[in-house]
Amino acid sequence: MSILEGEVFDVFARKERGDALQHIGYVDAPDIDLARVYAWKTYDELNWFEMCVVPRSAIVPVNRTDGPFAGNALGRPVVGGAR
Amino acid sequence: MSEPLSVDALTDSQRTALRRLILRLADTKRLLGIRFSDWLLGAPSIETGIAASSMAQDEWGHARLLYSMLKSFGEDPVEVERDRAREAYANAPAVDHEFADWAEVVAGMVVVDGAMTALLAGFAEGRFELASNRIPKMLGEEEFHRDMGLAWLRSLAGSAGRGRVTEAIRAFLPGTLAWMAPGDDAEAELAEAGVIPSGAETLERFRSVYGEAFQALGVSIETSGAGDDFDAARGRGPGAPDEETVERARGDRNRALFVE
Repeated sequence: MSILEGEVFDVFARKERGDALQHIGYVDAPDIDLARVYAWKTYDELNWFEMCVVPRSAIVPVNRTDGPFAGNALGRPVVGGAR
Repeated sequence: MSEPLSVDALTDSQRTALRRLILRLADTKRLLGIRFSDWLLGAPSIETGIAASSMAQDEWGHARLLYSMLKSFGEDPVEVERDRAREAYANAPAVDHEFADWAEVVAGMVVVDGAMTALLAGFAEGRFELASNRIPKMLGEEEFHRDMGLAWLRSLAGSAGRGRVTEAIRAFLPGTLAWMAPGDDAEAELAEAGVIPSGAETLERFRSVYGEAFQALGVSIETSGAGDDFDAARGRGPGAPDEETVERARGDRNRALFVE
């Protein structure tokens, strides 16, 4: 992958220990190392207790066949039905 | 562990050497911050620009904390920040002029920021109390600067930018290493007082972080320290930042708004 061909990484964070991990945004980055830096530097308005980045390609939908993660289902059956 | 040391306990020559060290670090951070801030727009991606801008803010915050250490010398840090001529700046020479391209920005991250952090880490572990209190938080923020620099260096090394970034590192390295570890009397005096480690130890600290990445580009980390043209009073090689840079560092234009 070239320097400028990025992948989308979703950013999750929790404010305090025990809080739910929340999706707070995303960054485009060529690799996980830069994704970590970009996430921290882009979403640093709060003093996060914990922040994580996940390649969007690793998020597999469970109950939907549409939306940003639909391409990652790889033909797996939808469970539970979508609202 | 050795007893903490305050300015009052230092000899005159130790005080002079410590003041020089603080100014070298503060001025380099102030000017490196300006260089990073220039790349909020024009960086290779929006995220990269945001990161560069955030790093600029970090550097300026660190500079402010370092300048404020001069209060313990009975000096007004505001005057030091606002009133010095360019010839008095003690920054690493690599930030005297603006970075020409992104390869130079990356070289600035790994060489200048890396050398400065190696020096700061040793300073934080030494006996000067203000350094051991204030610098650890800076070092935490600098971990992201290191990751950013190394990640971009890897990217450029695997691209058409390999030659250019190697050239920039080769250009910045000698002056920066001589600035970081000059091996002169002032450095030896501070090392003897337990304020910083020896120049050789600082060099080894820098090498432990960047040696492998530079080796992959065919660049070795070696220095013979201060040359004949080294400015011992400032603790850097010859030259000075350009006038426009110093006007920005001092904030001349901002203050001009309030002059009647």
